[in-house]
Amino acid sequence: MNRKIKKIFTNTRVIILLVFLALAIVAIHPNPYKKGVAIRNVITNSSANLAGIQSPKPNIAPMSREAIIAINNKVINNVEDYSNSLKDLKPNITIQIKTNKDTYRLITKEKTEVIELNETELKTIEETVEINETVNGTIITKNKTITKTIEVPKTETISNGTEDIGLRIYDAPKTNIRKGLDLQGGTRVLLQPEEKITKNDMENLIAVMKERLNVYGLSDLIIREAGDLSGNQYILVEIAGATEEEVRNLLAKQGKFEAKIGNGTTFKGGNEITYVCRSADCAGIDPLQGCGSSNNQWFCRFRFSISLSPQAAQRQADLTKDLQIVTEDKQQYLSEKLILFLDDKQVDELRIGAELKGKAETNIQISGSGIGISQQEAAINALQNMKRLQTILITGSLPFKLNIVKTDTISPVLGEEFVRNALFIGLLAVLTVSIIVFIRYRKWQVSIPMVITLISEVIILLGVAALIGWNLDLAAIAGIIIAVGTGVDHKILITDETLKGELRKIFNWKERIKGAFFIIMGAYLTTTFAMIPLIFAGAGLLKGFAIITIIGVSIGVFITRPAYANIIEILLKE
Amino acid sequence: MDNLEEENKEKTEEQEANKIEDFPASKSKDFEEPEIDIIDKEGHKEKLEVYEEKEEPIKEEEIIKPKEEKKEPEPSEPKEPFKKRILNFYDKKYKKLMLIPIIMLILAILIIGIQTATTGSFIHKDVSLKGGVTLTITKENQIDILNLEKSLEQKFTNNDISVRSIKKTGTQIGVVVVADIEGTNKEELNSFIDAIESQIGYQLNEEDYSIEIMGSSLGASFFKETIIALVIAFILMSIVVFIYFRTFIPSLAVILSAFSDIIVTLAIVDLAGMKLGTGGIAAFLMLVGYSVDTDMLLTTRLLKRKEGTVFERTISSVKTGMLMSLTTMVALTVGIIFVQSAVIRQIMVIVLIGLFVDIINTWIQNVGILRLYIEKKQTKNE
Repeated sequence: MNRKIKKIFTNTRVIILLVFLALAIVAIHPNPYKKGVAIRNVITNSSANLAGIQSPKPNIAPMSREAIIAINNKVINNVEDYSNSLKDLKPNITIQIKTNKDTYRLITKEKTEVIELNETELKTIEETVEINETVNGTIITKNKTITKTIEVPKTETISNGTEDIGLRIYDAPKTNIRKGLDLQGGTRVLLQPEEKITKNDMENLIAVMKERLNVYGLSDLIIREAGDLSGNQYILVEIAGATEEEVRNLLAKQGKFEAKIGNGTTFKGGNEITYVCRSADCAGIDPLQGCGSSNNQWFCRFRFSISLSPQAAQRQADLTKDLQIVTEDKQQYLSEKLILFLDDKQVDELRIGAELKGKAETNIQISGSGIGISQQEAAINALQNMKRLQTILITGSLPFKLNIVKTDTISPVLGEEFVRNALFIGLLAVLTVSIIVFIRYRKWQVSIPMVITLISEVIILLGVAALIGWNLDLAAIAGIIIAVGTGVDHKILITDETLKGELRKIFNWKERIKGAFFIIMGAYLTTTFAMIPLIFAGAGLLKGFAIITIIGVSIGVFITRPAYANIIEILLKE
Repeated sequence: MDNLEEENKEKTEEQEANKIEDFPASKSKDFEEPEIDIIDKEGHKEKLEVYEEKEEPIKEEEIIKPKEEKKEPEPSEPKEPFKKRILNFYDKKYKKLMLIPIIMLILAILIIGIQTATTGSFIHKDVSLKGGVTLTITKENQIDILNLEKSLEQKFTNNDISVRSIKKTGTQIGVVVVADIEGTNKEELNSFIDAIESQIGYQLNEEDYSIEIMGSSLGASFFKETIIALVIAFILMSIVVFIYFRTFIPSLAVILSAFSDIIVTLAIVDLAGMKLGTGGIAAFLMLVGYSVDTDMLLTTRLLKRKEGTVFERTISSVKTGMLMSLTTMVALTVGIIFVQSAVIRQIMVIVLIGLFVDIINTWIQNVGILRLYIEKKQTKNE
């Protein structure tokens, strides 16, 4: 017996299986004792944001996410602990949040609310109106600011407790397996552009949407293009832990972009920026200034041009004419910066060249720089910054009308229940199958290796999913079911072919196993090819099902089933 | 009968010839160990009982006798003769048996035809294919689903509404409301949610429910898409089968079997009035996979192997194939009983029905076609 066990563990195919199993476990990184709550995202300008807590990067593995382990030295084990410890906070006090990476000090903010009283008051406001003026016989439209007094309802600002510290959290994940929306709760929206748009426009549109949603600190999100076999275009947006209302509001709201100098608005998104250049002839690394280095650091300058409407150009001229000229780094700038706001949140600021002072220029050039330790890195950073700025500038209004064609909102409660249910059914199914197999063969040498390799198959499949960052949802679970189902089928086939081999007087085990694998390969190829069309069909919503099935049966055919065949060969051979 | 017997003798002779051909080949590979062979067989006799026992009926001369004589002694030894008679019937009457799958397929096409003529579509579509709303309430309060359904039906007379509950160990843990209202229209959706709230008597918070909304135009396009995917999958599958076996009739038999599986299962699903969603259509794809598994097994054993008679090889394929189907079916049954997700349950139910259908299509239809094919080939060779 010992000899056989030794033989099993020195068998190449078994070793391959064990190596993959070990790698899968490393990828899944299970830690059932992990406590705390993981940070999903941080709301911009909230107390948590101001204290330096940052939203996790979108591609970070679940186990590497920053998790809160204590608040004010009280241990936090789960979401309940978290909400209890923050329940009765007073405004303007300091709380200490300890995470697995750092310790932060937060100052709570007072929540204020403006309420309308039942009386009115007079208020003087400034209003910009468009007026038609005749200059030299032609009518031109001009903006004029007038002051008027209006009656408004009287308001009062009252304190309304403490503002939320601005963290969205969830129970810290115990493995690296990413749960899809169906299993962890969140909102999925499928958008369809009203008219067909080009590939390039689609990429821009998605970049714009990402930029906007990031402004809200929503980092746990997926935005991707989805197509189907009939050539329809869709955009799929999935935001974990967000409610339908939030997502709808974000997507429906026209993105508000504003560029200000001091307190005055120079231009807004929409039709005031008529063109943002993104082609090589007018955007890219600045050919005149290019890259340079100082103190072991490289920096590269980029530039791109934009076109403003005449009105916006005029406003810019009005706002810059009284500014001072300052000299910095041998360059002449105006004393105020151009500050860019996206949905009222500052996203960037730019220096204005002195030559623009008081000039109604419609074609303006925007430039900036990127820093890096090598020239190449600096250039890459510069281009990245440029792309971001361009995206912000065209963000003003989403250039295409999008219709919401499907929304799914899954409550986290339901998702948790589904996971528990799926695990329970999986175990029960493995148990019943192994009982049937034992009744049929009455050999532990068959049923024990079968159950072990079956479970290894699932573990390796989950490991691959964790490694490639695939979100496991209901469709993926259906894929796992098929992979395991064909796994059992094929192992029965291997067993019967090898046991039959004894009756067939074929003493060469290789021949017997080859016979089984001829059938298995045929079945494998048909299943795989049958799944391929699903990857591309129907906005990719069944993609998970197809991909997981293909990965699962491939693991089975190339890793676990050969190992199973060798194990029973060693155990049954006299 | 005489004819059959003659045919049979011919066949066994053929098989003998095959055996003789085959033997030297296997011998030549392992010619050094003929003695170990005998010991091997002896040592395994007990363990291999399962096989030995079922091997018996294969000795054909023996089978025919009990069938004619043993009508009275049946009660004393009921098991063996009955089993033998079944096996005998399966062996001899395979041509007549083939009527069952043929009639089944014709009936199925008729049912689907009637369904298409009366409703305009060959399946009952659920909201994921025609557009609509699925609302899942997950609050601990118990909800009377019958009353909820009744009151919603009164308020939305033009819509198709169904309410069911999600249960865990017998107690309700959630309620699912499905309605084909246009959920992308905010007003219609709100009035629908208001109606539910007024019936259950409390406001629903965001955490209390899940909602899936499918626009009707997208639903229609999804339906088209999944059908196209199914057709392409079927074509790809056929190409693989043809390339794999490189013989026309047997490959066609595999494809026909997969086709009948789909059509007959579809007819049963239609008759049961089951509403299909995208998951349900994906289930038909899974079915193709499982169906091909058993057909591949059968075709390989009948055409590529030489040991034993054709019928022996058929029976050995039946044993392996039935065990494969049985394990899958039991696992599916367990799933159907306990699963909470309606989508997954639907997939499981369809695959389960399909596996039943596949038993008939593989072990009667495909076996019949292959045996006819082998006979034809043998007469040709003579």
